[in-house]
Amino acid sequence: MTDSFSSATSMQFTGTRRPRAWWLVYVPLIVLLVFAVAPLLLAWFTAFKTDQQQLTNPYGLPLPPTLDNLREAWTVGRFSIYFKNSLIISIADVIGMVIISSLAGYAFARLSFPGQKLLLYGLLIGLTIPVAAIIIPLYLTMRDFHLLDTYGSVIVADVALAAPIFVFIMRAFFKDLPRELDDAARVDGANEFQIFWQVMLPLAKPGLMTVALLEFLWSWNDLLLPLVFLVTNDLRTLPVGMLFFQGQFTIDYGLMSAGVLILSLPVTILFLVFQRDFVKGLASGALKG
Amino acid sequence: MAVQPYSRTIEGVRTTRSGRLRVRRHVVQRYVVAYLFILPVLLLYLIFVLRPTVQTFWLAFYKWNGVSIDREWVGLANFQRLLGDPIFWQALQHSLIWTAVVVAFNLVVGLIAAALLAGSIRGRLVFQLGYFLPVVQASVVTAMIWRWIYAPTGVLNTGLKTLGLGFLTRGWLGDFAVVLPALATASGWMTFGLSVVILLAGMQSIDPTLYDAARVDGAGYTRMFLDITIPSLRNTITIVILLALVDAFKVFDIIWATTQGGPIRATEVLSTYLFKEGFQQNQYGYGSAIAVALALIILVSSILNLTIRERGDD
Repeated sequence: MTDSFSSATSMQFTGTRRPRAWWLVYVPLIVLLVFAVAPLLLAWFTAFKTDQQQLTNPYGLPLPPTLDNLREAWTVGRFSIYFKNSLIISIADVIGMVIISSLAGYAFARLSFPGQKLLLYGLLIGLTIPVAAIIIPLYLTMRDFHLLDTYGSVIVADVALAAPIFVFIMRAFFKDLPRELDDAARVDGANEFQIFWQVMLPLAKPGLMTVALLEFLWSWNDLLLPLVFLVTNDLRTLPVGMLFFQGQFTIDYGLMSAGVLILSLPVTILFLVFQRDFVKGLASGALKG
Repeated sequence: MAVQPYSRTIEGVRTTRSGRLRVRRHVVQRYVVAYLFILPVLLLYLIFVLRPTVQTFWLAFYKWNGVSIDREWVGLANFQRLLGDPIFWQALQHSLIWTAVVVAFNLVVGLIAAALLAGSIRGRLVFQLGYFLPVVQASVVTAMIWRWIYAPTGVLNTGLKTLGLGFLTRGWLGDFAVVLPALATASGWMTFGLSVVILLAGMQSIDPTLYDAARVDGAGYTRMFLDITIPSLRNTITIVILLALVDAFKVFDIIWATTQGGPIRATEVLSTYLFKEGFQQNQYGYGSAIAVALALIILVSSILNLTIRERGDD
């Protein structure tokens, strides 16, 4: 039998060399695709169905679609408030994280100072500390700072806890930039901050993108910190609001799935637009504590 | 710090008798600038990560309700209580079962999917995007969706009845025997996409000539998968296992948003137990002792993870 495939594509378990086995490849892949996507689609579709449609047509397309569930969740279910809170916290997280992680990442990658290695290893330990393990003293710290029940508590904790991984990501980006760049700028009389701001930062945009996307994703989806720190209903984020909402409207699938849609749509859209950054970033950031 | 003559502390600045002071000031200035760059991260890290970590260990030696001014030093009493606490051992066991299910799910499904995707596949991007979609969802979303799937009149039971397997139907989240693996499967649904990506990247970096050689020797696909793919992926597989393991030990959201550790204690894991002890029973000392156990387990797994990853990078 002659092998018609180049060696680059020769890693085949696909059966493409034996056409009769194509289904052996595609059937499992498609089954898995349905397993991955169908539960989400089901919830999203239900959000657009009336109670009647949910009974008569639980698994089909929502035709004609109704916006009643979304409208009710948005107003009566207070999801407009939760959405606003989530958005404020996530955006503040992203801005804070982009600034501090690029500053520190730059210093660790391209400046030299005493204690550099030690501090870097110190941050590395931070990657391994699980939030749940320090949540009790973290709560007490927020209480001492009078930050409990403010956006600030969640923002500060989100940024502090995820900072180590993003410092490492930014450090890797800055390390890859050519040495001649800052030498040339230094000869031209630029100071360290100018070099960072005008020369390096624009070149590290892909890194900043990864930081912004992942930090948004993690803070948007987080449950534990806002659950512990925010008490007032008007400050709750979407995941926390969803949890309390569930307690009140357990039976109302239409409303619940409207909530699910509101919570999952923003990150789903971001993911579909920036797929590659998300996949790469999550694969490299999978170490997060 | 004295600057030695001819030292290259900063780009080979040469210090002479007359120039020494100037150079030193210049060097110190640069250090100060560098420290200013890392200062924000350092401060946040010290106050909101490192200090609470130390405090967790320290609080574990006290009996304290979190409010009163006096904390009672109880030495190792919290840890003694922990070792004799059946709920702690139960929670630990649940964490292990959870971990086993999630790790197995990620590995088996991840390996199969990655192996199939590694070939010349039409629509590979669609499959990859689809598998990854649950990864970016909030765990609260996962929890909601799987609650409906597992509900007594939910998708799973309806499906089983349609297939004539009605005898298997049950209230999945109310049944002691299945609730833990059922929820762990939901967690597997949410995580396997990442494992597929990592494993696929590993497979694509295997030297293709290995397969050519095996093919010449008449090896079939299964042979090649077992004798070439799996051994070549040893490091990648270890990373996937350890990632899933660390993740699984940290689980809180999915359980809290579905069963809150119930029914009774059937899904109690370390994080839910310490949350209850700390924030619901106000047993800050004992809650911290559980947290110490959790931190140590994850620390060991993470160190293993990092060591293997470093070795793999060589």
